[in-house]
Amino acid sequence: MKRSSMQEASEKTPILSVKNLTQRFDDNVVFENVSFDVYKGEVLVIVGGSGCGKSTLLKIMIGLQKPHAGQVLYQGADIVRASDEALNEYRKNIGVLFQSGALFSSMSIKENIALPLQEYTDLDAGAIDRIIRMKLGMVNLGGYENHNPSELSGGMKKRAGIARAMALDPRILFLDELSAGLDPITAVELDELIIKTNEALGTTMVIVTHELESIYKIAHRVLMLDKEARGMIAEGGPLELKENATDPRVRSFFLRQLPENQDEQRFYAD
Amino acid sequence: MTTPRNIDCSADYQVSFKKEEPDLFIDLKGEFGLKNLTVFTRDIRKAVSDPSIQNLTIDFSQVCYLDSAAALSFVQIEKEAAERKITCRLVNLSAEAKGIFSVIHPDVLTLRPFKPEQTREGLVSQIGQTSWSIGRDFVNFITFIGDLLSALVYTLMHPSTLRGKDVLFYVQRAGVDGLPIVAMIGALMGLIMAFMSYLQFKQFGANIYVPTLVSFAMIKELGPIMTAILVAGRSGSAFAAEIGTMQVNEEVDALQTMGFDPVRFLAVPKVLAAVIVVPILTVYADVAGILGGLIIGVTTLDLTFKTYITQSIKTIQVFDVVTSLIKAAVFAGLISAIGCQRGFQVRAGAQDVGKFTTSAVVAAIFLIVVADSIFAVMLYYVKRYGILA
Repeated sequence: MKRSSMQEASEKTPILSVKNLTQRFDDNVVFENVSFDVYKGEVLVIVGGSGCGKSTLLKIMIGLQKPHAGQVLYQGADIVRASDEALNEYRKNIGVLFQSGALFSSMSIKENIALPLQEYTDLDAGAIDRIIRMKLGMVNLGGYENHNPSELSGGMKKRAGIARAMALDPRILFLDELSAGLDPITAVELDELIIKTNEALGTTMVIVTHELESIYKIAHRVLMLDKEARGMIAEGGPLELKENATDPRVRSFFLRQLPENQDEQRFYAD
Repeated sequence: MTTPRNIDCSADYQVSFKKEEPDLFIDLKGEFGLKNLTVFTRDIRKAVSDPSIQNLTIDFSQVCYLDSAAALSFVQIEKEAAERKITCRLVNLSAEAKGIFSVIHPDVLTLRPFKPEQTREGLVSQIGQTSWSIGRDFVNFITFIGDLLSALVYTLMHPSTLRGKDVLFYVQRAGVDGLPIVAMIGALMGLIMAFMSYLQFKQFGANIYVPTLVSFAMIKELGPIMTAILVAGRSGSAFAAEIGTMQVNEEVDALQTMGFDPVRFLAVPKVLAAVIVVPILTVYADVAGILGGLIIGVTTLDLTFKTYITQSIKTIQVFDVVTSLIKAAVFAGLISAIGCQRGFQVRAGAQDVGKFTTSAVVAAIFLIVVADSIFAVMLYYVKRYGILA
């Protein structure tokens, strides 16, 4: 179950560094002074209860939202204060899978994947076509190039979304709510896909999810955010956190229990 | 990929060729990916095209970075070489590079798509499909009008089922919020009409008829039609987009499973609000039009305020005002009904919402003009034979 071989095998070089990140909307502080590194080739999972700012953090890391304070460094350059051109250059090095796949419904799967390739490379149509077939093969969707997104099931949409996010062979892949709303078998398939892609291509992955099963399976390292603490409360390997964490909030998350003595309050508060 | 030792990865990539007939050795050095894919594949293909070559060896020992697209191009080169009976070997692959090659499934590359690519239909089938869809639209609309009427009747019989708050909300959206634009367009129309007719009438010294023309035209035709077109653009489209998005989000399905009739729940408040509010907006447009004309009347035509108003009031007949309001109410019914119906037709996706919103506005304007023509003929006979008088 434990996936630590990669960590031990290769030296830890940070590919993305988050430094003292604070985000607030008016008086509402989402998180304060969050700092961590994303290491090359690892699968980093960000977890936390609803409203803890996981998605906000992800949006800042992909440059969709500006934080109140702090830095996000990619290859030494701060993307928070980067110019539009520099930010676009950064975005060619990352791929993002949105929660619902966010495939363009007016285009076929092939056109969805072809879009970044046509826009950012000088490849001819034949080469693009081959790359599309390869990417679809990678996500087990070979033969589906002419289907429309509306003709695919939820899991297939996610896989097609991964194929599109992987179109430019990104250095980092961000995945939002990877297996939310999918049946267990599809979720396992996605986990396998993530592991395979990570191992074969060495793509660094940052994943937001709260599916425990999937976390134990795919994560090299887990970061836990908390709403009340307004920031990070735990960091480490998934099993390590499950077995050794002393913080009741972390324990209750990984053991899937309500925190002791808070049971009743929780029931009524929600 | 991890960096092999003793190689400067920051330097540009290099492809060096060493020919020892019939062998060709290619040494790769540096990063190979989408950025330089076109160039290095062209160079390699050119070198391999030499007919004397029978064995090809590509050495990966000094590759710092390889992405899947570059790996794919090497697979392709290998395949092309095989077709020309050249034995091709990829050597000294690092574990990472092997991993990247492992994701390329050769069978997928030649797999036929499960569904053929969509091609444009021929002219005849396009005409056929369009006629079919127009016919289907018409049937849909009639069915929807039936549903709507039965829902309205039900609401009349059970007034407590009406969602009053919703009606008020849409009264505000379609009416109060639309008032500034309706009043402004009305005033400008009156102003333009007064000015243009003045240019003609002054040749006959008939300036005194300018207020007559403005008030007659505004109340009988322009007021209701213009208001209706504005409401179609503002509110008809909003109704279609709102219901359409609810349809995409399965909110309409949720209503249905909770035992609500979507037409009664979503369409009735909108239609009622529109029918209440459009006649009122029309009155505002009429008044604004007459006031717009008044500005020209007083400043350019040398008419006094009092003469202009008296002349206008003399023209206005109760019959015309009442029928104009009835017309406005009918237009409102058509606009809101078509808006809701098009909204319910949305099936999936953002594109559908856009398509049916556009169609709601176009169809509403078309229906307004058709209804207005019917009214023109009908009202003439009604007035002539004194059915209402």
